[in-house]
Amino acid sequence: MGDNKRYPELRRRVSPGWWTASRHYAMYMVREWTSLFIAVYSLIFIYGLSLWATVSRANFLNFLKNPAIIGFSLAALVFTMYHAVTWFYLLGAISPIKIGRSKTKPWQALVLNLVLLVIVSYLAIWLLILR
Amino acid sequence: MSQDIATIRVTRYRPEKDSKPYFQEYKVPYRHDMVVLDALNYIKAEMDGSLTYRWSCRMGVCGSCGANIDGEPKLTCASFLHDFKGRTITVEPMANFPVVKDLVVDMEDFMEKLVKIKPWIIREKETPPEQGEYKQSAQELERYSQFSSCINCMLCYAACPIYGLNEKFLGPAATALAYRYIEDSRDQGKDVRFPIVHEMEGVWECTLVGECSVVCPKGVDPMLAIQKAKILGATNAIKSILMPRGGR
Repeated sequence: MGDNKRYPELRRRVSPGWWTASRHYAMYMVREWTSLFIAVYSLIFIYGLSLWATVSRANFLNFLKNPAIIGFSLAALVFTMYHAVTWFYLLGAISPIKIGRSKTKPWQALVLNLVLLVIVSYLAIWLLILR
Repeated sequence: MSQDIATIRVTRYRPEKDSKPYFQEYKVPYRHDMVVLDALNYIKAEMDGSLTYRWSCRMGVCGSCGANIDGEPKLTCASFLHDFKGRTITVEPMANFPVVKDLVVDMEDFMEKLVKIKPWIIREKETPPEQGEYKQSAQELERYSQFSSCINCMLCYAACPIYGLNEKFLGPAATALAYRYIEDSRDQGKDVRFPIVHEMEGVWECTLVGECSVVCPKGVDPMLAIQKAKILGATNAIKSILMPRGGR
């Protein structure tokens, strides 16, 4: 008969810096953290719209012209594009559209959605600012 | 034929002797066609018989020989030594699993998850064999085909930080296999598997790291299966609200 004693297993913890182990993990972490950044941008924009609703449109536009807001918006735009590329590509992978015998590729959904994003963004800018 | 020398640094952990793991270095002569598993076999046969690791088929089919090679989860039988030429190769047990000894990890948690998702065709009523097989078209097969290529090597779990942080997470391979049966036209067990896949530690725990699909040696995309399962779950939930009597 052999020795049936069970020895303790080695349990390893995930280190706080696990996401530095590869570029892929790091990019994931960037996406997670920039979500907070985009959430802050949303709050700032809601505040701007509240100025329009409670004071005047000129006040809202002046608020948008603030250099700090412009800088923050540009940074938020870069992060938003990173999120958009991730999710639009995934959308194409999850739900390809069947055309005849072939299916659409994820990059086609990415391009189509980015074009739609540009159109919708232009309409929003026209409605809020240029009009 | 000339032979190069590979320097292999292997994690050693013998629970009956060691309180913590350490690295042991070996110099292994190798030919161009040798893989990391060959080096481990050489060490065991010629240098140190106490080195412990799992392996079986030596051809990327059985899924037994997974390890973290230079920090990345890989099959040792599919990692050529010449790809690491000029540098030390670090071989560690797969991350995120408890280590039993040296490179051997405890697979119990994964095995329980595998059984939990009921990886077999469930029928509401079995028909006798004489009535023939359950037929399926090529298009129906295509819906789940890639997810049936999983060899249960667990590399996707070793690559998943979500599983590393929360071992209750159902995880990539088990979800991909559950989705494989959910999409199988012959299966009638959706109502049994859906609650398992959509429970607290099911698909919604996944936050799309995506490394599971990167490391899969068989080209399975578990990340895609998880996201597809999320869409199916969300669609079913909306249908059940809008059409409570016949939404599913």
